[in-house]
Amino acid sequence: MRIAVATLALVAAFSLPASAADQVEKAPPSGAYKKVSELVKLPDFLPGLGQLYVDPKTLPAGPFLAYDRDGRLVSTVYMLPVEDLSNKDKRFDDLAAPGGKVDHVDVYFNAGHPGVEKPHAHVVLWHVPKAEETRVAAK
Amino acid sequence: MISRRHILQIGGGFLAGLAWPRHMHAAEAVEIRMQGNQDGSHVWFDPVGLRIEPGQTIRWINLDSGNSHTVTAYHPNNFDRPLRIPEGAQPWNSDYLLPDESFSVTLTVEGVYDFYCIPHEHAGMVGRVIVGRPGPASASPLPEQAAGGEAIPEIALRAFPSVDEIMRQGVVRRV
Repeated sequence: MRIAVATLALVAAFSLPASAADQVEKAPPSGAYKKVSELVKLPDFLPGLGQLYVDPKTLPAGPFLAYDRDGRLVSTVYMLPVEDLSNKDKRFDDLAAPGGKVDHVDVYFNAGHPGVEKPHAHVVLWHVPKAEETRVAAK
Repeated sequence: MISRRHILQIGGGFLAGLAWPRHMHAAEAVEIRMQGNQDGSHVWFDPVGLRIEPGQTIRWINLDSGNSHTVTAYHPNNFDRPLRIPEGAQPWNSDYLLPDESFSVTLTVEGVYDFYCIPHEHAGMVGRVIVGRPGPASASPLPEQAAGGEAIPEIALRAFPSVDEIMRQGVVRRV
């Protein structure tokens, strides 16, 4: 019985959706997060964003967790389709924010990419100061 | 400081640009670059319009370090999109190209060929190639939607250079 309970707990641990309890400070994050470059054909490291992880069930909005080349979390990104933002009947409520303290926020237009194929807004919650955004800059 | 080597490269490219496509040979491959800016807010084919000779090869290369692109012909075989390549021409779909990856096709049937990038059609990333001299059919409006398929978005329709512009200039750039 004890083994059965332990097995169930293990199964649950590996099938739970991304939650605030997940370890996200270092890549790879725990929980249901998957590396974006393994879900869709995109470069592993995106200049300006970094290496992205997402729980596929939360697409397209995310959160996407973005890491620098040393695997340290730098930002949490939400990707919100423009057509949804202009739809009065569409809302994005209760998006998870597992990354902790936010230093500043950037919001900008993106033309699209595999995974989020339509024009959308990137909402970037930076967990590092402005000067450290270079950690995910192009080489 | 600009070295002599650089000047020669720049000059050679400039001269080639002036001469092309009048002295173009069918054996020469021409390049269309898939590009994007740093934050991904703008993406494009460069050139967006091109005139080539029958039998010439076009090579699309992804020079956008932060994104993947496709070059996909408008054809019912590709996701039920409208037919916007000549009757009898083979459609193509490169699938996603990562940075520095490329894809080539050789076009032999004369006429107008329209293509798009799958994740960026709604951002207006489309292009047009004219092979040889398009027939009278090119004067007719091209279809914007195939049965059961998605219509071409307005932003993409506005981005195609006209047949006249391509025939007049040979190469059409928007950047």
